[in-house]
Amino acid sequence: MKLSTQHLLGIKDLTKEDVQLILTTAQQFKDVLQRPVKKVPSLRDVTIVNLFFENSTRTRMSFELAERRLSADVLNFTASASSVAKGETLLDTVNNILSMKVDMVVMRHSASGAPHFLAKHIPAAIVNAGDGINEHPTQALLDAFSMQEKLGKLEGLKVAIIGDIMHSRVALSNIYLLKKMGAEITIAGPPTLIPKYIKEAFDVRVEYDVKKALQWCDVANVLRIQLERQNQPLFSSLREYNLAYGINRKLLDSLNKEIVIMHPGPINRGVELDSDVADGPHSIILNQVENGVAVRMAALYLLANREN
Amino acid sequence: MKILLQQALVADLQSPHNNSTKDILIENGQITSIADKIDAKDATVIAEKGLVVSPGWVDSFAHFGDPGLEYRETIESGSAAATAGGYTHVLVLPNTAPVTSNKTQVEYIVQKGTATTTTVLPLGSVTKNIEGKDLAEMYDMQNSGAIAFTDGIYPVQSPGLLLKALQYVKAFDGVIVQVPVDDSLGKHGLMHEGIVSTRLGLPGIPSLAEELIVKRDIELLRYTESKLHFSGISTAKGLELIKAAKLDGLQVTCSVTPFHLTFCDEDLQSYDTNLKVTPVLRSRQDMLALREGVLNGDVDCIASHHIPHNQDNKVCEFEYAKPGMIGLQTAYAVVQTAIPSLPADKVAALFSTNVRRIFDLQTSSVTEGSVADLTFFLPAEKSVLTRANNRSKSINSPFFDKPLTGKVAGTVHKGNVNQLN
Repeated sequence: MKLSTQHLLGIKDLTKEDVQLILTTAQQFKDVLQRPVKKVPSLRDVTIVNLFFENSTRTRMSFELAERRLSADVLNFTASASSVAKGETLLDTVNNILSMKVDMVVMRHSASGAPHFLAKHIPAAIVNAGDGINEHPTQALLDAFSMQEKLGKLEGLKVAIIGDIMHSRVALSNIYLLKKMGAEITIAGPPTLIPKYIKEAFDVRVEYDVKKALQWCDVANVLRIQLERQNQPLFSSLREYNLAYGINRKLLDSLNKEIVIMHPGPINRGVELDSDVADGPHSIILNQVENGVAVRMAALYLLANREN
Repeated sequence: MKILLQQALVADLQSPHNNSTKDILIENGQITSIADKIDAKDATVIAEKGLVVSPGWVDSFAHFGDPGLEYRETIESGSAAATAGGYTHVLVLPNTAPVTSNKTQVEYIVQKGTATTTTVLPLGSVTKNIEGKDLAEMYDMQNSGAIAFTDGIYPVQSPGLLLKALQYVKAFDGVIVQVPVDDSLGKHGLMHEGIVSTRLGLPGIPSLAEELIVKRDIELLRYTESKLHFSGISTAKGLELIKAAKLDGLQVTCSVTPFHLTFCDEDLQSYDTNLKVTPVLRSRQDMLALREGVLNGDVDCIASHHIPHNQDNKVCEFEYAKPGMIGLQTAYAVVQTAIPSLPADKVAALFSTNVRRIFDLQTSSVTEGSVADLTFFLPAEKSVLTRANNRSKSINSPFFDKPLTGKVAGTVHKGNVNQLN
């Protein structure tokens, strides 16, 4: 089985079969990761560069771990320590790296569409590790994997995506993926953080009352308030955000139902999630992190297109 | 010098010969005779099947970057592109370095722009150095040859300042040109806000950014009783507001660009930086409404919004790409391709006579006794912009190697024939 695409630029470009293939392959890698020897030789002689033009801790570590466990040769590049500061263009930077014979590029970039631009101009396979406010496909895949693992299915699942939708690439990738797999979606949060046309664009429900959204859903994927990506005032204060949209144990208890809480991290504790929820029994946040490695191994393995 | 145009269809609503096929004799830069058949010895003969002749075309919004940004376009290269696009006159933006903000800068363009095959005329800035703070010396600039006043690609945002500008130019019958973009709405937006921007994960600029400034500027115009021209209307609602203001008797006019008639937000799926323009490409409904406006006369003229950029500013991430595309050379063919039913005399109005009227330029008509300032074109012929025939210094156009319907055949300007093949 092969993916229908040569790059992983976004969930938007994947078929339902692609998503299923990645999730099934991820399960196999997750099994491998439970063994004493966690390394497989699948990507031996494949060189992968991790290009991070934006800060990242867990995504970069997760990718690097996935790459090393597949026995790939790994090269790391971070913008702060790079020639970007000296004014080099993205294309120059990447072409310079590629002339050192690199096979795959994993890139995070602050501009939406940056990996699509790269895919048009360079021959390597590209994995989008987050572009602007567009997509973060491996995050959506690991979220879906974690939901499926916890609840046994995606089809018919009721998922609430709560918080800063406007500045979130996780939201967009999750919406694309969950819609493809037949889940139902409610978007919840303050109106200033929800794109005006989201209902028409994706056929999702929109809810400004977080409690109602929680009451409705099986899974709540709570997003990080992207303070660093807001360039104008979109809500009054973090305190008020927490009052109106924050999720705490008391709120969950008042629902009197089963619910799964997810978060892509890093958490702003006391803003979108209180610690009693983040560390509580409803949370599968750390499972998400664990599954991230297996899902990224699956994506890299399938994109490298090796049959053995 | 004698020039004989044989069997050309006259496209000029002001001419008694409109829509008839005639021979036209031009002597010493003047149309001396129009008849069914003219014999003229030793005349340069121009004869081509399907040839249409119109008063010479005028573009009202082009950026040549001369002085200061010559790596993008010079007066010479821009003028050559304009000639290739069938223009005899082109008005250039003040967004140069230094800004066309005083008599000296105006005179530089007037002087350089006279020697070229297309006459290049300056638009002066409304505010000093396009800073949006104080009024520039518009009276002095107009006396030196500035045709109208605009802050070009950085339209005046302050209503108080625009009101003063509109009042100020009344004394010398000046015209203010605004690109209808309110910067405070969708400040960090990169494309039209709608379903497509939401799906593409690109921050949006709502249609409201245009509608509000059009509405506001119309009210300022009503108050000042001055003259205002909107360049590059992109929304259906914006056009409606202007139409209503015209019915109220206000002296307001507008243009659309060829690219707003051709593309819409849906065309940005591949993050093509050549389609990053300002005002942004709007929805399909807007595009269709603009085409309708061109046909029914709500749109007064076509403005190329020719904005050259070097490749470093276009072969990059969409967010970092500079807005604008070159368009002088392809303007006519792009419009004729977008609206195949556009009749030739309507083309003449949109590309020439209306522009001349709005900016009070020398009139030109396909009439005996008129100055011969003419454009010839072939509406049914195909044309294609290639890297070989491109005359601009820049190549930021989505139309390269795309066959278009409609072809410019040449111009007569200042008694000279600029014939293209």
